[in-house]
This record gives sequence, structure tokens and C-alpha cells, in this order.
Amino acid sequence: MVVAHSALLQGSLAISCSHSRVYRAAHSLRQSCRLPASRCTGRRGRQASQIVNAESPSIQSPQTLSPELKSALEKFVQQHNVVLFMKGTKQFPQCGFSNTCVQILQTLNVPFESVNILEDEQLRSGMKEFSQWPTFPQVYINGEFYGGCDIMIEGYQSGELVETLEAALNS
Amino acid sequence: MTSAADVEQKLRDKLKAADVTVIDTSGGCGASFDVAVVSDQFEGKRLLDRHRMINTALEEEMKSIHALSIRQCWTPEQQKAKQPS
Repeated sequence: MVVAHSALLQGSLAISCSHSRVYRAAHSLRQSCRLPASRCTGRRGRQASQIVNAESPSIQSPQTLSPELKSALEKFVQQHNVVLFMKGTKQFPQCGFSNTCVQILQTLNVPFESVNILEDEQLRSGMKEFSQWPTFPQVYINGEFYGGCDIMIEGYQSGELVETLEAALNS
Repeated sequence: MTSAADVEQKLRDKLKAADVTVIDTSGGCGASFDVAVVSDQFEGKRLLDRHRMINTALEEEMKSIHALSIRQCWTPEQQKAKQPS
């Protein structure tokens, strides 16, 4: 299978991902579901301010997906072509299945954002509800849930993943 | 604890699966399984939806299952095509 790497890489500058940036992404997602709007301003990077859309604070059970978190997640997966919600970081995956997804995306030379769901229980349970998917990793491509590890493997082997990614990164 | 037999029975019942293989990969604690399912309910469904059907069928069990690897989810026709006997 030949991947048009250059095509995949087009426009990837905006989503190249450093460790601190990933941390901020997860951090701001956490903040968005916990803090009232007044506390969500300041001391925040560019990306964080893009993600956080804190509106009026509301009291939510920790097991449910709050409207704030839901809209923050919707925005986040729309803003990045490829997002991997995983256990650990892409530099240090803490689960074999998450590691497999990192390896697949890196093998395909695809720039992607990763979010460590182990950092926050509310994000972790919220993502299960958001995706209607019980496990991690979870992969989003162009704002749409693509699947978990098994689907990534199958998509990688069949070539369907590359097609989806090429379409996503060229759109 | 969830056993491989529980998982198999659920998949047979809920998905009317013709062929189910469940392997307990947990080393005994019942929290990790590999499954392969053949069901005509998968007909016309894309892979993501097939996985969702399996997740839904195992909703109760998933609360105690840590890892579920869905190795195959085929229609009977796909099974025939892939495993000529």
C-alpha cells in the first residue's frame, strides 16, 4: 500500500503536536467540564482557548456527559483532523491497544492530536458516552468517530483507513 | 466474574449468531476476551456498526470487561468466502 505522504502532510503544521500541547488539550477539556466560565480565562494557551467554551456552570453527576464537556468535545474533534483519545500519551502509551493506534498513525505519517483520558475520570466516562463506545482508544477523523483499536487495525490492513485519512486531510 | 461461556451465550442470543468463538485472554480474571462472531444481522452494516452491535449485546458484561478484542464480525457469506471448507 502506497500512501501519498506529502498529501497527508499538507496543512499539517497546524496540528503538529508537542507534549505540553497535548497536556494543555486534556487540561482544558477537564477545565471545561468543571470550572465556571469566570475561572476558565487567563493562564491558558492558544489551543486551550480554542477548545474551552465554558458557558454557565452547571451541576452534573460525575458519570454523565455535561453539556459543556459535550460542546467542548464536539469543537475539539472538529478542529483537529485526527484525534486519538488514549490511555497515556503518544510518547508513552499506557495500554497496548492505545499503543497500536499510535503506531498505525505514525506508520502512516499522519499528524494527530492525542488526549490522555487517564488524566481525568470525568473526561474518561464522558468520552464513553460521547462516542457511545465502552473502551479506549477512540479515534476521531474529521469530527467523526472512526472506531477503536480493532477497527483501526482492520482499516489499516484493508487500506480503508488510508482512504479515509487522505480524504480527511485534503478536505 | 464474566466467563467466556457467558459472553458466547449473550452473543448467540442477542445477535442470533450462527458461529461464535470467545477466547478468555485475561489469564483467569475474566476481564479480557477475544471474540469472533458470525451473524446474518451484520448484513448491510458497516464495520463500526457491527462493533457497536457487539458492544450493545455485551453492555452488562462490558462493565466488568477491561478489554474486548473483536477479531472478526462477519456475515455467513463473508465467513464462507474467507474460510472455504
